[in-house]
Amino acid sequence: MIAEDAGLSKKDAEHLLSTMNAIIRENLMAEKAIQLQGLGVFEIKERQARVVVHPRTGERTEVPSKNQLVFRPVSNIKDELKKV
Amino acid sequence: MAEKLSWTELRRALAVRAGVSEKTAGLFLNGYISQLINGLKDDKQVKINGLGTFKLQAVAPRKSVNVSTGEEIVIEGYNKIVFSPEAGLKELIESQKPSGVSLQPLVFNDQPDEGDFPIDPIKKLGEQADEIVGLLAEIDSIEEPKEPEVPEVPEEPEVVVEEPKVVAEEPEVVAEEPKVVAEEPEVVVEEPEIIVQGPEKPEKKKYHFFRDVLICVLILLLLLAGGYFFLRSQLSGILESMLKPEPAQTEQVEEQKEDDEGEEDPMIALIPEGDIPQEQILEEFNAISGEPDEEAYSDLITIEPMHEGSRLTWMSKRFYGDKRFWPYIYDANRDQIVNPSNIEVGTPIRVPRLTQAQMDTTNSAAMEALEKLRIEAEEACKK
Repeated sequence: MIAEDAGLSKKDAEHLLSTMNAIIRENLMAEKAIQLQGLGVFEIKERQARVVVHPRTGERTEVPSKNQLVFRPVSNIKDELKKV
Repeated sequence: MAEKLSWTELRRALAVRAGVSEKTAGLFLNGYISQLINGLKDDKQVKINGLGTFKLQAVAPRKSVNVSTGEEIVIEGYNKIVFSPEAGLKELIESQKPSGVSLQPLVFNDQPDEGDFPIDPIKKLGEQADEIVGLLAEIDSIEEPKEPEVPEVPEEPEVVVEEPKVVAEEPEVVAEEPKVVAEEPEVVVEEPEIIVQGPEKPEKKKYHFFRDVLICVLILLLLLAGGYFFLRSQLSGILESMLKPEPAQTEQVEEQKEDDEGEEDPMIALIPEGDIPQEQILEEFNAISGEPDEEAYSDLITIEPMHEGSRLTWMSKRFYGDKRFWPYIYDANRDQIVNPSNIEVGTPIRVPRLTQAQMDTTNSAAMEALEKLRIEAEEACKK
């Protein structure tokens, strides 16, 4: 389908797709955000460490901080998809 | 996360890596994005292998309030885009250490204790009383096994000498009671100290010190407990005298009845508080701070003899925290109460434990039942 849109061969499109995934992954691993115009931004956010309490035992455990992949759509896409 | 791979950078990188022109890469990216959006519109879900899934999630309409006008408005439902990364990618990213933080979950074992202790001084008086009673019982039980241990200790005669001492000191304790009351704030401050000392005791292995400390603590506790009960009875005296005008206003029917009868008004004399046996107060105490799950009507909080100057409404206020529930007490004692506004002094009054539903003033069914009982009680007054 992308191939049709962009006037590319299916093989090329698949190649490009996998390459793109690789690029996205690499940049994310380097904690770099990726901007996709007209769609949104992939970025890594740090979730802060927090203390959770086991409801039954009352034991307190600290959940360590971790990174999370977050996708932030741009506002016009958000609006466009609000009503479908 | 200051760095950002811009659109042009992405396009260039894609072109170089895939060996195509930048123009082709740009076309591809545009197609990629429009396909994604169309897919979301049509299927509400788009999965990209090696990356993750985009989903459209419906958010239900909800009510809200206009902050400035207080008007109720409805926020209409909408769709939002949710992206969940593929499991492999997610793990990969999560396994990245945020700078300088260990991944090991830390378990705080001591923290719950630390968390509990600051609460101690705020504990309700009733709870403290319970604790003291518990500690007293604990100490008594510790004291008994002490005697078999005595033969092990070489100073047998000393023990014999010391034990009468304790007994001899006890009258002193009683004599000191008023003193304690005079030092109200001190008493309150000292109580938590004892609570801290309590758990320490079993750890002490030196019998020499153990016995001495035990005796000291025992005396202290007796003193405090005595002072506490005295204080408590004093307080309840103040409370009752404060409450005195209130029932007069709200229960005009009873009041009128009493006025008609003239001299037989039992309200007049408030008996001195010292007359109430301490055991009884203790009993009330346990009852008040008792478990919240009340069950049957037959389940009693306590049986309290009617004393001079008391009234059912005051008992209701004391046991249930609201004087409106007095008809329940009347209902539980119908067999011995002829006239609820004129009960014979000394009549053992059963105070039933009420259910949450019965004490719920918003529960119209319970309130109706209460009203019915109240009317019955008032009719009994007129007989």
